[in-house]
Amino acid sequence: MSDYAELHCLSNFSFQRGASSARELFERAARLGYHALAITDECTLAGIVRAWQASKGTGLPLIVGSEVRIVDGPKLVLLVENLAGYQALCRLITQARRRAEKGCYRLLREDFDEPLDGLLAIWLPEGDIRHVPWLRGRFPERLWLGIGLHRGADDTARLRQLLELAEDHRLPAVACGDVHMHARGRRALQDCMTAIRHHLPITEAGAYLFPNGERHLRRREELVELHPSELLAETLRIARRCSFDLSQLDYQYPHEVVPAGHNATSWLRELVERGAQWRWPKGVPEKAWAQIEHELALIAELRYESYFLTVYDIVHWARGQAILCQGRGSAANSTVCFTLGITELDPMRSDSRLLFERFLSRERNEPPDIDVDFEHERREEVIQYVFHRYGRGRAALTAVVSTYHAAGAVRDVAKALGLPPDQVNSLADCCGRWSNQVPSAERLVEAGFDADTPLLRRVLALTGELIGFPRHLSQHPGGFVISEHPLETLVPVENATMAGRTVIQWDKDDLDLVGLLKVDVLALGMLSALRRCFALIERYRGAQWTLATLPPGDTATYEMISRADTIGVFQIESRAQMAMLPRLRPRTFYDLVIQVAIVRPGPIQGDMVHPYLRRRNKEEPVEYPSEELKPVFERTLGVPLFQEQVMELAIVAADYTPGEADELRRSMAAWKRHGGLEPHRQRLTSRMLAKGYTEEFTSRIFRQIEGFGSYGFPESHAASFALLTYASCWLKCHEPAAYACALVNSWPMGFYSPDQVLQDARRHGIEVRPVDVRYSDWDCGLEPTGTVQPAIRLGLRMIRGLHEVDGRRIEEASQQGPFADIEDLCRRASLDARARERLADAGALHGLTGHRYQARWAVAGIEPQLPLFAGLAAPQEAPVDLPLPSVGEDLLADYATLGTTLGPHPLELLRGQLKAQRCRNSRELVGIAHGRPVSIAGLVIGRQRPQTASGVIFVTLEDEFGLVNVVVWHDLAERQRRVLVQSQMLRIDGHLEAADGVRHVIAGRLTDLTPLLTGLDVRSRDFQ
Amino acid sequence: MLWACILLPQLAMDGVLRHRSDADAPLALLGGSPQRRVLQAVNPAARALGLRPGQSLTAAQALTRTFATADYDVAAIERWQRFLAAWAYAFSAQVSLHYPRCLLLEVQSSLRLFGPWPHFEARLRAELTGLGFRHRITAAPTPAAARVLANAYDGLTIPDSALLHETLGRLPVERLGLPREVAAALTRMGLHSLSQLLALPRDSLARRFSADVLAHLDTLLGNRPLALDFYRPPDVFDARIELNFEVESHQALLFPLRRLTADLAAYLAGRDCGVQHFTLYLEHRNQTASRMPVGLLSAEREAAMLFELPRGRLEYLQLPAPVLAIRLEALELPAFTPEHRQLFDERPQQSLSWEQLRERLRTRLGDNAVQSLGARADHRPEHAWVEQPTELSLPPCGPRPGWLLAEPLSLRESSLRILAGPERIESGWWDGGDVRRDYYVVETRAGQRGWAFRKVGDGGPLLLHGWFA
Repeated sequence: MSDYAELHCLSNFSFQRGASSARELFERAARLGYHALAITDECTLAGIVRAWQASKGTGLPLIVGSEVRIVDGPKLVLLVENLAGYQALCRLITQARRRAEKGCYRLLREDFDEPLDGLLAIWLPEGDIRHVPWLRGRFPERLWLGIGLHRGADDTARLRQLLELAEDHRLPAVACGDVHMHARGRRALQDCMTAIRHHLPITEAGAYLFPNGERHLRRREELVELHPSELLAETLRIARRCSFDLSQLDYQYPHEVVPAGHNATSWLRELVERGAQWRWPKGVPEKAWAQIEHELALIAELRYESYFLTVYDIVHWARGQAILCQGRGSAANSTVCFTLGITELDPMRSDSRLLFERFLSRERNEPPDIDVDFEHERREEVIQYVFHRYGRGRAALTAVVSTYHAAGAVRDVAKALGLPPDQVNSLADCCGRWSNQVPSAERLVEAGFDADTPLLRRVLALTGELIGFPRHLSQHPGGFVISEHPLETLVPVENATMAGRTVIQWDKDDLDLVGLLKVDVLALGMLSALRRCFALIERYRGAQWTLATLPPGDTATYEMISRADTIGVFQIESRAQMAMLPRLRPRTFYDLVIQVAIVRPGPIQGDMVHPYLRRRNKEEPVEYPSEELKPVFERTLGVPLFQEQVMELAIVAADYTPGEADELRRSMAAWKRHGGLEPHRQRLTSRMLAKGYTEEFTSRIFRQIEGFGSYGFPESHAASFALLTYASCWLKCHEPAAYACALVNSWPMGFYSPDQVLQDARRHGIEVRPVDVRYSDWDCGLEPTGTVQPAIRLGLRMIRGLHEVDGRRIEEASQQGPFADIEDLCRRASLDARARERLADAGALHGLTGHRYQARWAVAGIEPQLPLFAGLAAPQEAPVDLPLPSVGEDLLADYATLGTTLGPHPLELLRGQLKAQRCRNSRELVGIAHGRPVSIAGLVIGRQRPQTASGVIFVTLEDEFGLVNVVVWHDLAERQRRVLVQSQMLRIDGHLEAADGVRHVIAGRLTDLTPLLTGLDVRSRDFQ
Repeated sequence: MLWACILLPQLAMDGVLRHRSDADAPLALLGGSPQRRVLQAVNPAARALGLRPGQSLTAAQALTRTFATADYDVAAIERWQRFLAAWAYAFSAQVSLHYPRCLLLEVQSSLRLFGPWPHFEARLRAELTGLGFRHRITAAPTPAAARVLANAYDGLTIPDSALLHETLGRLPVERLGLPREVAAALTRMGLHSLSQLLALPRDSLARRFSADVLAHLDTLLGNRPLALDFYRPPDVFDARIELNFEVESHQALLFPLRRLTADLAAYLAGRDCGVQHFTLYLEHRNQTASRMPVGLLSAEREAAMLFELPRGRLEYLQLPAPVLAIRLEALELPAFTPEHRQLFDERPQQSLSWEQLRERLRTRLGDNAVQSLGARADHRPEHAWVEQPTELSLPPCGPRPGWLLAEPLSLRESSLRILAGPERIESGWWDGGDVRRDYYVVETRAGQRGWAFRKVGDGGPLLLHGWFA
């Protein structure tokens, strides 16, 4: 039988065209005995690394190529013969993509004027023979006429015509299949994607659908039946010419990071030595030197110097701009990174228990990984610095391949199959937000669908096929690729949605495989808050703190943490975290590392949390599944909590090679999208069972591996985060006023609103002073009180709807001298009517005009000053008699304009009525015994439905004394759904559960008390 | 003067509920974008479930799934308002649609006809309830005051301006019909009622608020007139010709018919509209009139055509009795788009225009016997045409026979010659009618060319699906 190589084949990276993944294509092509397979996605190489992987997996050679349509020119399939051809193709795609909007391309004839050596072209004629001379000139001896026969109207005639055409132009003809799917069974999906692409219901998309399902990888017998053998033989001649392999790509680090007279090794050593002196001014400890030598040797051996230098360069620049940053990731917890200032985590600290080797290992073929978090408001500066330093051509952001989740897939499919918009929406609602599962039958029935109708069965079947397919490319939030040579010689570059940014066509996983290194420049709100807090303290007290100099091991701080008094701190502020703190009672830094990592889907799904707690509280003995696993699990009391431990376990207990373990890590991160964990399940389970581990243990480990997939949280990241957690806790404990002030100034960030942060501060005895144009700056600030803790003066930023420019002008004007009256204020700060009204309503003019009503009346009477009358006093008006706002009116106005109140808490105003209803307050809960019935009322400030807890809803109530955690079980939630969802203020009748200092009210009945505070603006974080 | 305001707070919902048999079942009307559907109106049953206007559909569905939905149709609301205006026109010559979702009636002049106001009001309420529209009715010396009072009251009648001042003075500023931002500004100055507002120096108010605000207050209090547009009933054509003698033959009816249709054409031309449906009534002595509806495929207004159609039909009509009078009624007069014609378009004297021929055929053969044909973009031959003209682009395809058989026939002839094929068609999975066929162009011994197929992977005989011309 004739051999065949398919030279024209789209994968699902030709978005909404290709209906099969590269893996499916390669597996079928290999099974059919093809000689080679070209992946020729339309003007993109975004899927080529995956195709390369599939090629290596199946042993079937990959030909790199692309299908392109030239503006006012022919349609071609371009195939890469060698490295030069690959570079030419990258350049063509880059040019075509850069001049078009995101997601589109415009390839022009003049793009082919530059050298095209190493690039072969198959012309797909569409009655456009006038292009032939031009094509021959561009691709001498490298041009073919492609013939695709798909059982159309009259293939015999068509073949004859095409062969004559080839003859006329003396072009060799070659068979090519225009493959859009691996097998005929994808016909429905392919039709459906066509309809989606054209935004048409499928019943109206007929003009765009293929007449049949022939565009798949056909059996060779079929091809022989349709094509003259010469056409098939030609495919092999082309395939043999295409010897390019992605492993030939030669990535080099940028040279700028090494100054003249140095090489990368010597320069890194010099920087590290300088940094060591800076970090340990009183003398570098012996242990640190030894560690540095050890690490430098390893880095040199793996040739990663330039990577560390590149990250250093960015961090060094940011430090010069006073932008706070902190590195994390596998390589970040090294002494080298500490001395380079990439991280603030001192690896010599006795309580860190972190080992460099755990993160960067010689055997594991894993690239170093350093993510650097920057202040969220200043990250853009860092990004622009990188673009500026290396130039657009050599630095670009990584892509993120957005894939179809269930909701998006069902939405597109249902729309294409003609369901009305409301039904499309409710179908999408049946899927969880990030679910990758077709909605369950029960969920559909609940939403009023009959899952057994043929239409819905079709929708669900196609949805199942579409889930996980790439949908479009978007930009990574901050993953940079920087290269010595122009990036477009490595990978095509295209435009991002955001102006001024360019994105390469590969995502993070692809980079790893090809050996390109990525630096993550990420944004973190907490760093903004910390930097602000340090600045506030320095201005108020003159004390200079940095992340590295805060006193470690502070008992008061750990006491505070153990009380779960952690509103507003980093990572351990959430409700679930707070419930865990009094049980775990962190005492050391490593406890915090565990605390940060433990309340996550991985450990929760693996049922690791409770065993750990019991062991920590000495309620059960610390045991190890085997003696060989003791070193792996010792630091977590025998319970696997971290992703790294799972990999170590695979090596120790299932005889994985380091390479295999790395593959496991990759699969863990990607299994939701691509699957591929099944082989590991079998391999791990069988090997562990053979070594005598119990079935129960192995399946628990595996559930945890799946849990890591969605939110992989390695120890190396937890350690860096824990440092910020400790810093934020220390500041909250010792500088509560400055910390609350900094948090409010950094908002929006974190879990709590400014109102909650300020209420918390006031409960801790901090005085909060109102917004006042005479004293307030734009930001909240600190004012002396005569006690240790300063007062917080609310800033103009608190006023909803006031523009920052207006606020800054007021700040400036008030620094010039106090305001005489409201006219003076409005004139000197040139405030328009809108700004004046905002100030008046917020009560910020109280000191100038009296209460809100008077202020509003006064600002409304200010007339625009005409230049002619400048300096003349405005005509005097008779004073008017306006009513005084009531306490309730002030409260409502406070919430409406500032989002918080300094007056009494709403619940305090209602306390009398609540007492009459026998409701307790949150402070009284402490005195109530476990299991006792209790009634309590409060503002609803949070409703959460954790994905890890089945159907239970956690409600957080706030009263004038603090927060109360309420648990609403599934049945009650269903029964009282309306009250639960709609109430702003709730009364709960239930009973108290108290253990280890954690108190929950288990709800038995819910009552909506919202009418008591009609109009109050309490922003609740609903179901986030 | 006494002005009544009939406020229709649930106009959209009531308009929809009139057509539903299950008016008591929960129903919500949806507006907003397809991505974010918002409840615009809910009926009492839906309200009882906790649904509220302004909720997003997602939020509503989080509460309950047991409610039906329909579209919130702005055009329909206006239609219902006009419908009710036509109803109100029977009670007053001055009906205004000045305010949305509300009717203003000058009722003083009608009191003599419809009795004292309480009786009159009761009658209005009874009829509105009968029509299925919830309402609030107030009456006041000025139309603006009547409207504003309806915001807060139902059934309130203010006969004189002294009482009007007092009543309006108590109204909260949000209910005064002021722009929302003005009402908000007043509230934020602690000014909650109109009387508080009026107690302030006028020039201080004028300094703080735009002239419209004071003008509105003056209008309310009757110090300034409100300019109203009044409702005029819509145009219909209804003309009748009494015959001088009892007519028994069709022929004798043609003359009056030609006059009526010519009048209709003139009327249409004058209003720049067309007609698509009209009805002829042939009146008899002591018998209900014979009714002959006439429908056209599109809106027309050419006299010849308007005459041609009923004429053809008239010939087939069995007259039950002699005709005394003939009446033509056209209730709907839609807009007319004239067809583009060349100035020197050749139209031979004797030939019919295509439109006339088409209409004549329909008249002779029946309305359903003549249909427009259109193509559909579908690869399956039996789905590739529809009984409606279309403007869809079509997929390129091979030769197709002019005559497609309704049902494929099996071809038993052994000496078929295959001229082309197979052309494979695999399509249609989405409606359950998926086909997988290989088509061939075949020639019979007699030289006829046919189009035949065989199911993919099926060795059976060819099935004939059509003939080429």
